[in-house]
Amino acid sequence: MSTAVVTVNKGVFRGLNLRQKTFLIIGFTSLLLLTIVISSVFLGDESLQTNFGSKNLNPSPEHPFGTDWMGRDMFIRTLKGLGLSILIGAFASTISSILAIILGLLSSTGKMADSIISWLVDLFLSIPHLLLIIIISIGFGGGATGIIVGVALTHWTSLTRVVRAEIKQLKTQEYIHISINLGKSKLWIATKHILPHLIPQIFLGTILMFPHAILHEASATFLGFGLSPHEPAIGIILSESMKYLSAGYWWLAFFPGLSLLIVVLAFDMIGDNLGKIMDPRSAQE
Amino acid sequence: MLIGSIIVIIAVIGIIVSTSGCTSNTTSNSASNSSSDATHNAASNSTSASSTTPASDELVVNVYSHTGEPKAGFDPLLGWGCGHVNFEPLIQSTLFKSADDGSIINDLATGYYVSPEGKTWTVNIRDDVKFRDGEKLTAKDVAFTFNTAIGSNSELDMSNLENAKVINDTAVEFKLKEPQSSFIWRLRYLGIVPEHAYKKETYGSNPVGSGPYKLIQWDKGQQAIFKFNEDYYGKKPFFKKITMLFLDKETAFAAAKSEDVDIAEIDINHANQTIDGYNLMALPAARAFGVSFPMQYNTGNKSLKGDPIGNNVTADMAIRKALNMGIDRKAILEGVLYGKGDVEYTGVDQRAFGNPEAKINDSNLEEAKKMLENAGWKDNDGDGIREKNGTKAEFILYYSAADQTRQALSVTVSEQAKKLGIKIDLVGTNWDEIYANQYSSAVLYAYSSVDTYNLYLQYHSKEADDRYMNPGLYNNPVVDGYLETALRSADQDQATKYWQLAAYDGNTGYGPAGDATWLWLVTMDYLYTVDETLDIGTPQKNAGSDILGNIYEWKRTDATSSI
Repeated sequence: MSTAVVTVNKGVFRGLNLRQKTFLIIGFTSLLLLTIVISSVFLGDESLQTNFGSKNLNPSPEHPFGTDWMGRDMFIRTLKGLGLSILIGAFASTISSILAIILGLLSSTGKMADSIISWLVDLFLSIPHLLLIIIISIGFGGGATGIIVGVALTHWTSLTRVVRAEIKQLKTQEYIHISINLGKSKLWIATKHILPHLIPQIFLGTILMFPHAILHEASATFLGFGLSPHEPAIGIILSESMKYLSAGYWWLAFFPGLSLLIVVLAFDMIGDNLGKIMDPRSAQE
Repeated sequence: MLIGSIIVIIAVIGIIVSTSGCTSNTTSNSASNSSSDATHNAASNSTSASSTTPASDELVVNVYSHTGEPKAGFDPLLGWGCGHVNFEPLIQSTLFKSADDGSIINDLATGYYVSPEGKTWTVNIRDDVKFRDGEKLTAKDVAFTFNTAIGSNSELDMSNLENAKVINDTAVEFKLKEPQSSFIWRLRYLGIVPEHAYKKETYGSNPVGSGPYKLIQWDKGQQAIFKFNEDYYGKKPFFKKITMLFLDKETAFAAAKSEDVDIAEIDINHANQTIDGYNLMALPAARAFGVSFPMQYNTGNKSLKGDPIGNNVTADMAIRKALNMGIDRKAILEGVLYGKGDVEYTGVDQRAFGNPEAKINDSNLEEAKKMLENAGWKDNDGDGIREKNGTKAEFILYYSAADQTRQALSVTVSEQAKKLGIKIDLVGTNWDEIYANQYSSAVLYAYSSVDTYNLYLQYHSKEADDRYMNPGLYNNPVVDGYLETALRSADQDQATKYWQLAAYDGNTGYGPAGDATWLWLVTMDYLYTVDETLDIGTPQKNAGSDILGNIYEWKRTDATSSI
């Protein structure tokens, strides 16, 4: 599946126009990600049984990603880990976007609110992301909830800035002034004039937040925060694999790392290509 | 930016591992057979005469990774050599030491006498011992050490010692509050410090002792260097200089690979790896791993710290007994520990005070299922988990996230329990969280103390304080009686008899045949990778963690003449 993504970019489907190609890319990558999520949800715990007879096996047709130190299949572990990462990413991005919309809209209600929110954004941006995630997740009692809340509460800043700037710009537009002069209500202007312009921005912002959220989830679990080490999270898999580098079990780090990379790239691609289609200036190319 | 840098890191890791993987595929293929004895001599046919250190009477060790670097320094009163873990303190000498068979013999002491009522212990000591600084070691120093230990807040429990009194230069009298047969272990492991040169704040980094070695350099976080003490009164060790590294097991394994260390403790997961010029040595340590069960029903009670008490599933004896019966310990031993250890039933199987009568036959799924059925645990809704009066046979098992062995044991127990219809959910976390849940959930603990007082603490009824002994709050008056009698015996043989009765007296006891208070699983050996030119003599029985205990017998042999 991943090769298909790459070849599209290289132009094997030369017969298609850019719009069709873009749709193709979006379709393929979405399908890939959906497959990961759905299969990870439907794979039960039984699929991750330990089997001490087959510890640390090389990749083979039976175990495409090899097996780990408890004889568990690395392919299924990676799949489940990625599924978890994507779900956490989805949840965190949604929360972040909602926060960003609320705060962005609030900032347009008055000078005071605007400066408070700008200050809040600056405050959050001034603390390193990872540190903040760790602090918040510990504050919320650790565990999976801690990580989700931690990731969700740290990714709203940039989108808030975008929304705020967009609204500021829109408010200077002539048609808004005309609407005001015509006596339209604030709510009417907000829903009819401002919101339609914001939707593509918010949508894109949410999608592009995914890779950030996933990588941060992976980093936090890599450092040992949040989830128990027997659970299949991608960060845990990677940090565990570090212990076996000196033993030469390369597949423990290589395949999960590569898979994480592909997933993150896939989200990036979806975001970029959606952007092309949604932006009226590039949609007709 | 962030995405970019992480991608780069992953790519670099990928490249590194894929190149290193090409060279070592052969090792891992042979390793996957995981035959336990093949690794023992696998390295011995290598002919390379590796010389690790420039001089042959210098030794580089990395053997304290299970306790790590002593944070408070090399001060016996702050945990060096005794307390949480007992081991040879090198710098200080102790009143008694252990013979190869584990029995107690004299070191500084020349003999001891316990009064008939067991409250007064008199120890005679040698006359010819000097501290490193030339001062003579007298009974005054011994009394000072023990009297200071009473007040120290280290893990060293001296609460039963009233005081230590000097009788003359070579005799000390210990007054106990209660008779305590296990007091001998205090005398065995506490290193004697000099009264004239002891200061709590500075002694740890500048210790003065009468042991076989003196500390000449301590690079915090890296290493400590010991040199032979010329004035040492005992048998002269072969090695004149010991460099003790404080590497984690991963790094230590790599150090052995590059021949930077003579002996290193390694992780169980490297048990099937071979290093040229090194032999793998598995030393029994009687280090038992087991699952503690909360023994009380959940009635809403809270511990002194406000943590919940009780678990309605594990408080049912049928659940505990069925798990003890149904678990396949042999499979766990082979699977998780590569066979490096033994199966374990009572937590103290390997000790003289363990009771073989308390064991039961395990790996008996049918019998275990029958026991659960008879006790009313039936799976009525067909989800694979039994219920009784609306309570599901499900509980949480906590384990320390930092230890892969505990993780693997927990995962295996959970998987095996599922076959019985008992669901064990796992939580791997830090010790703070584990201690906060130990009275209401199962915990995977390790127990390795040779000190019988710990046996008393482990099974004698207690209040729900925040200590980790007796985490299940086991409370059986009959067992309490045996433990008290054993502790108060003036005679060690008499004490042993009662320690054994506490495990099982034919009717009740803490062992699986009695109340099945724990689910003991396996005993793990300590694994060392040892340079083949190093001969470590005969290690003391079950002293795998205290590997330097017989440093006097260690020597370096000529590599070419060894097997």
